[in-house]
Amino acid sequence: MNSSVFLSRLVFGLCAGLLISNAIHAEDLSASQRLNGANTRKAFAKTKQAAFASTVRLIRNGKLITHGTIVSKEGLLLTKASACVGAREAVLADGQSYPVRIRRRDEKTDLALLQIMAKDKSFEPVQWSSDILPKEGGWMVSADPKLKGLKVGVNSGTPRAIKREGGVIGVILGRDGNATGGIAIAEVVPRAAGATAGLKKGDVVTKVNGKSVKRREQVIELVGSHDPGDVVSIEVIRDERSFSYQVTLGHRSVTFEMFNRNLQMSGPVSKRKDNFPMIIQHDLPLPPEAMGGPVLDINGKAVGLNMARVDRVTTYALTAKVAQESLKTLNR
Amino acid sequence: MQLAAMSLCLKADELKAWEKPFPENHEDLIAIQERLRKILPEAKKAVVAIESGGGAGSGVIVSEDGIVLTAAHVIGKRGKRVKVRLPDGKRVNAITLGGSEISDAGMAEITDEGGWPVAPMAARGSSKIGDWCFALGHPGGFDKERGIIVRLGRIIAKEDETIQTDSRLLGGDSGGPLFDFNGRVIGIHSRISKKDDQNFHAPIEAFHANWKSFREEKLLTQSSLREGGFLGVGCEETEDGLKVIEVVEDSVAKKARFRVGDIIVKVNGDFIDTREELTIAIATTGPGKSVIIDYRRGEKEMTAKVKLGKRPEFEEESEE
Repeated sequence: MNSSVFLSRLVFGLCAGLLISNAIHAEDLSASQRLNGANTRKAFAKTKQAAFASTVRLIRNGKLITHGTIVSKEGLLLTKASACVGAREAVLADGQSYPVRIRRRDEKTDLALLQIMAKDKSFEPVQWSSDILPKEGGWMVSADPKLKGLKVGVNSGTPRAIKREGGVIGVILGRDGNATGGIAIAEVVPRAAGATAGLKKGDVVTKVNGKSVKRREQVIELVGSHDPGDVVSIEVIRDERSFSYQVTLGHRSVTFEMFNRNLQMSGPVSKRKDNFPMIIQHDLPLPPEAMGGPVLDINGKAVGLNMARVDRVTTYALTAKVAQESLKTLNR
Repeated sequence: MQLAAMSLCLKADELKAWEKPFPENHEDLIAIQERLRKILPEAKKAVVAIESGGGAGSGVIVSEDGIVLTAAHVIGKRGKRVKVRLPDGKRVNAITLGGSEISDAGMAEITDEGGWPVAPMAARGSSKIGDWCFALGHPGGFDKERGIIVRLGRIIAKEDETIQTDSRLLGGDSGGPLFDFNGRVIGIHSRISKKDDQNFHAPIEAFHANWKSFREEKLLTQSSLREGGFLGVGCEETEDGLKVIEVVEDSVAKKARFRVGDIIVKVNGDFIDTREELTIAIATTGPGKSVIIDYRRGEKEMTAKVKLGKRPEFEEESEE
């Protein structure tokens, strides 16, 4: 044994997680026995049938954009409104493909109602759970993105409402009093809304939508009262001249992603992940394009509709009750 | 033949769903769900968030007088004042004690008066590969409305200084407890890997082994390891004890005539069973200071007084 091997033993684990991971592999638990392994998933045969019957893949230009949930025999679908734009066809688990039309959207829940165009075809709608607020620790099951297998996990937190998150310009403001006549922009987030519109570091913000601003808080409040996607006019002073910019606001979490290590470690996340009336939280490893489908309990009953991939431990699902109420409104 | 088949059936009946190699059917899954739901409320009571400056982590209270297990990288420094947040959101004062960045085990103590909710610690060696487990903590920071977050998984690998599971973790979970299906703490969340189903935990064994030195605020960090004393032995944990498998040339261990095969028993009168304990005992003693080492060579009990050296700079480290 040479001294470098000895060294690696002694500094074992001290440098980074990577060193540790190199040291482990001898007696790993086989992949099939793990939480999302093949053997474990086999025990979910009953649930799988229910998941496959009521989940569809929504396709645009040959690409999966989001999942959907079959809610009636006639082929009505619920899906995530902000993710289903341009959906042309619905593909079922058996590979059958049908054209779809969008009927209505519900901004409050971010749900959309779609119709599968298939005459004389009877579909198997999702069976809703009567459990209004399902207890944590219960199994949660959804179809995987390809609708070939399952992803499993548990109901992992207290059901709750998720507050609205206002839009952002994507700049970091300086302290009050650092600039005369307004608030200086200390940093501009590259490629974010403000940068795209033309705002620059050092600009002094004087007005938001025509209203004069003197303090940081005023800017944050005025901008935050608008939603992502809204256009806000920002007036600034640069080199003693006044400029006005039209900024299409961005999402807070997406805009500041580069500063958030947790989000960097989470892979792709959903754009809209706020402002839901009531959600349940689970730990299923699903990508954003697998939102819109049902999440089932162990008995194959839908306890919710997957609505937002939030980070690597969190997915929000609208509760069955909220989804059914929204469906009623949409189908009126 | 018939008998054998019957006894096999009986044996299978005795195994709980979570003790099988994997759940075999719907009933096994229900049993796992019911078990988790049964032990979860009690387990959550002792889970805390730790706030220090801008950073936040998690922890778990394991003694009524307020000893909190967490991660070494959460406490950072010893003797530092931090806030501990109980599940109901109440903040209490605490102080950081010791830890070790080898396993990433760390300790703090609540300084306010009061009896605290506790989670039982698993005994040494009571967890193994394949065990079902669940992670608790405050991913992304404390959120009263959301509460403590549970994630299910299994132990996928275990080594002396680390446990690996497929329970999902996020920043803010660091220091939070990993529970077994008997409701006992078997590990503390340490590091995440790029793959979300391969995360790392400091094993409870690291706390058992280093309890005294952690309580005495001994904290082994990368820099304290670099600047601390150096003996010059490489060891392996064996059934017989901590066995020397390498003696570094030109080290004080070589001068003191340590040999491959010697079993290290005590340092300064304290029993030593693990590599981490030895490293802490040596590195938290400065170069030039002496330690008394009791060791065994075959049947012979021996004692050596060794003046510790300085850690040599290895070329392999220079690329950092």
